[in-house]
Amino acid sequence: MTMSVTTPKSSGRINPRHIRIVLSYLALTFLAIFSIFPFLWMLNTTFQSQGAVFSLPPKLGDMIFKPGMFDAYKEVLTKYNFMRYTLNSLFVAGMAAIGQLITASLAGFAFAKMEFKGKNLLFGILLSTSMIPVSVTIIPEFLLMSKLNWLDTYLPLIVPSFLVGTFGTFMMREFFSTIPNELVEAAMLDGATTFRIYRTIFLPLSVPAMTTLFLIAFIHNWNDLLRPVLYISSSSLRTVTVGLTSFQGEYGARWNLLLAGATISILPLLIIYIFAQRYIVEGIATTGLK
Amino acid sequence: MKHHNLLLLTLVLVSLIASGCGGKQTATVAPPASTEKPATEETITLRYFMWDPEFSEKEQQMVDKFMAANPNIKVELEAVATPDYWTKLQAMSAAGNLPCVFSMSSGYVDQWISDGLLADIQSYVDRDIKPDDYFTGVFDVVRDKKSGHMHAFPFAFVETVLFYNQDAFDQAGVPYPTDGWTWDDFLSAAKKLTVDKDGDGTPEQYGFWFYGRYAHIESWVYQNDGRLLNKDKTRFDPDDNAVAALKFLNSLINEYGVAPKPKEMEGIRQQDVFPMGMSAMWVDGAWNINNVREVAGDKFHWAIAPIPRGPQATGDTAYGWPDSLAISANCAHPDEAWEFIKFITGPARTIDLTFGGKVPIYKPVALSDEFLERDKQPPNKDFLLSWADHTGPTSFTPGWGEWRGYADGAGLEGKLNSVFNGEEDLNTALSEAKEHANSVLERYYP
Amino acid sequence: MKYSKTTPYFFILPMATGLLVFRLGPIIVAALASFTKWNIRTAPQFIGIGNYTEAINSEIFWLVVKNTIEYMVIFVPGVMLLALLLALLVNQKLRGIAFFRGIYFLPYITAMVAVAMVWNWIFATRFGILNFALTHYFHISNPPAWLADQRWALPALTIVAIWKESGFQMMVFLAGLQGIPTSLYEAAAIDGADKKQQFFKITFPLLSPVTFFVFINTLVIAFKTFDITYTMTGGGPNYASTTLVFYIYQNAFIYDRMGYATANAVLLLLIVGAITMFSFKMKERWVNYAL
Repeated sequence: MTMSVTTPKSSGRINPRHIRIVLSYLALTFLAIFSIFPFLWMLNTTFQSQGAVFSLPPKLGDMIFKPGMFDAYKEVLTKYNFMRYTLNSLFVAGMAAIGQLITASLAGFAFAKMEFKGKNLLFGILLSTSMIPVSVTIIPEFLLMSKLNWLDTYLPLIVPSFLVGTFGTFMMREFFSTIPNELVEAAMLDGATTFRIYRTIFLPLSVPAMTTLFLIAFIHNWNDLLRPVLYISSSSLRTVTVGLTSFQGEYGARWNLLLAGATISILPLLIIYIFAQRYIVEGIATTGLK
Repeated sequence: MKHHNLLLLTLVLVSLIASGCGGKQTATVAPPASTEKPATEETITLRYFMWDPEFSEKEQQMVDKFMAANPNIKVELEAVATPDYWTKLQAMSAAGNLPCVFSMSSGYVDQWISDGLLADIQSYVDRDIKPDDYFTGVFDVVRDKKSGHMHAFPFAFVETVLFYNQDAFDQAGVPYPTDGWTWDDFLSAAKKLTVDKDGDGTPEQYGFWFYGRYAHIESWVYQNDGRLLNKDKTRFDPDDNAVAALKFLNSLINEYGVAPKPKEMEGIRQQDVFPMGMSAMWVDGAWNINNVREVAGDKFHWAIAPIPRGPQATGDTAYGWPDSLAISANCAHPDEAWEFIKFITGPARTIDLTFGGKVPIYKPVALSDEFLERDKQPPNKDFLLSWADHTGPTSFTPGWGEWRGYADGAGLEGKLNSVFNGEEDLNTALSEAKEHANSVLERYYP
Repeated sequence: MKYSKTTPYFFILPMATGLLVFRLGPIIVAALASFTKWNIRTAPQFIGIGNYTEAINSEIFWLVVKNTIEYMVIFVPGVMLLALLLALLVNQKLRGIAFFRGIYFLPYITAMVAVAMVWNWIFATRFGILNFALTHYFHISNPPAWLADQRWALPALTIVAIWKESGFQMMVFLAGLQGIPTSLYEAAAIDGADKKQQFFKITFPLLSPVTFFVFINTLVIAFKTFDITYTMTGGGPNYASTTLVFYIYQNAFIYDRMGYATANAVLLLLIVGAITMFSFKMKERWVNYAL
């Protein structure tokens, strides 16, 4: 406020803070249009009749505001047992993401704040394994799951993700590293064990990072197609991504249904995102420095 | 003491996983078990894999009919969309656990036979199949090249045809394509059908549309009595007739301008160009009939016709191949598996199980009035039945996807596109394609 | 911090178990397979280092490596800059900011089939909005056939990838920004530091561990790009948009050459591993864990 007074030429009393806000909104809106455009288009496509999906130049959905507008959604939800698939996906992705929170934060803590033999080697291995494309590991993995007798169960979809995640471990390591050692020392003087320090100091201070990790792990597992297709045979165990492939045939797909299904399938992600993002931005404020 | 919490946590984790999954399993396995009939005698189970989830419900009805007729055989159907179908099938093969019966494509069948993974079914065919009842012209595709024995049984087949827009022909005053239409007839029609309505130098309607895709190219090569491969199909070696066909196709774009450069149509699905009215003619597989119906709707009238004949053609040579069912070599119940295949490739495979222009292999079904779908376009679907009598060679080999290029814009397809886009000349492109193709084929035929 | 020698191992035990059994196990099998001819369906045959010599002498392999590096060089800075910009924008206390955050995150969760369809339409040669804009507003008479042009296919895919990935890295940056105590900014403001100085004196140094993490993460993602290539160009035209991981997939599952694919994967690991090691070596120079 004082700054604007000192500039003599500011005749219209324009507050630079207001300018910044206006510029921010302009930038935000401009970028938002780019981001949301394909999503809106997908939505539009779900209101097209089957033959009109790929018309070029593209048209506004020919079913919008007509009696059969939501036919694609109705068909997806009723005919293909999508609710069941959604519940299955929620379970699989939820378990895998919860596991990530626990195992990645534990390992990240050790990597960030402790010294032990083989630490760098282990971290190096962890990082390297994430650089090997799944195309070459999936067949050996399938053979392993087959040997374990885990085919047609959720174990191959949950257990590996539950136990190990490079992204999560690495991320928690970096976030934990920024927590000052003084906090640890103070707690040590109070006689806290390492696990207690991890649980009562590091975890509460990392709510934004943990929430981000949960979100990313959840989305990652939710969107996985290859593993559910390979490992699941029973239709009652199918996940949403596998369900979406039921609109594909040998010579093409039923695109309006496929995209209606895709739209439905990201709804849970959006809901989880909306809940999660509050913890990401308010995490520190709500937990505070204890 | 210090570690107590941690150990506990790990234990909780493990039990959480176990209980979560275990619970799920019992909850979901129970319902199918309850619908099962109590096993009276020895019931055997066949697993059946197919690649067409869109049709899985109807396929299941057929399977149910078979099980009702054969109470001692239980068939478990699983439909997986391609390409995951192949990934899963190969993974199961690696684990030594192939399903007993599975869909087999003509593009892969040679390789699977030479891997020794498919059962020889020739004796069953000889015993049970009346040749007059089937379109046997496509059977050669599923024969072992050495023994001549069939290792899969076709359930339907497809062919490439010429699609043409009757309204566009009428407007240009061009007579419709006929049997024995030559390349000259085709070219002069294409010229008249190329229309630049607004005079901006870019036609809104081209006479024809194609690119380096197998169905677009091979159809013309075969109709000029040409071959892309040598006689025993071990090397890529296009003969003069094949090169003449490629030259003719190239001239349509780069000399006469009656077809667009492939890159001009980028962004439009290739199968939509014709039904959107952007080209008056198109050569592709008859399975596109469904898509043309959906996209073109009632905007114009269209029909199908033979591929025009080249100057070297002595008769008609159609490009067609089957979709088949195979029995895995280590299936424990090959007799039952064959009974099942015989059932679902015969009268049980009704017309509603075939997609648009696919033709059921069993003649009494294909020759039915229902197949003609008289209430839908094209008006002359029966052409597919007569065209099947001319089925000739294919260019499928092991490594086909790699040297031919399929959906990856590479291989022969990519090279031909470069030629058609005016970026490379035909001879250079062909010699590069030859080098690449033969380096692939040498791996299979040293 | 005081702890017994065994304590760290308890913390890493679950992760290490998973790593060993479910990651390293299959990878070791794959590494062994790189010395074989293997079509997945039947038993592999040992062929020594044949796959490696073939890759090193293959023109396509080096073209694919070149493509991968070109892709990475645009993708990594592109995603990092855009993600940081987005994170800074949405880290403000403005009305409706949560709404914008959600919108920027949308591309990351939107199904790839839909994304591919829309971007194919944007890049379409004749009716695409990009070429429409170029011819009508910028008077470029012969705009490229983006996805069908050997020069433009890869840059076009890179743009789509940056668009799709940035919202995700934005969230990571945002989590990092939230970790910076507001008291530091208040103190700096009292000392008379303007916003720019605050960014370079406080935000950037304190964000450096997160920036480093985003960098490594984006690098790995760059090398692993697959979905966008698969749904949009299939690697064409003539391998112009084929990157290593896509090429590995093609060899493994389309070309029937799992052995060759695994050899390529090992070479890929050497390349990414070297770049990552170098990045870690350089880390001390600019990453601060505590102010």
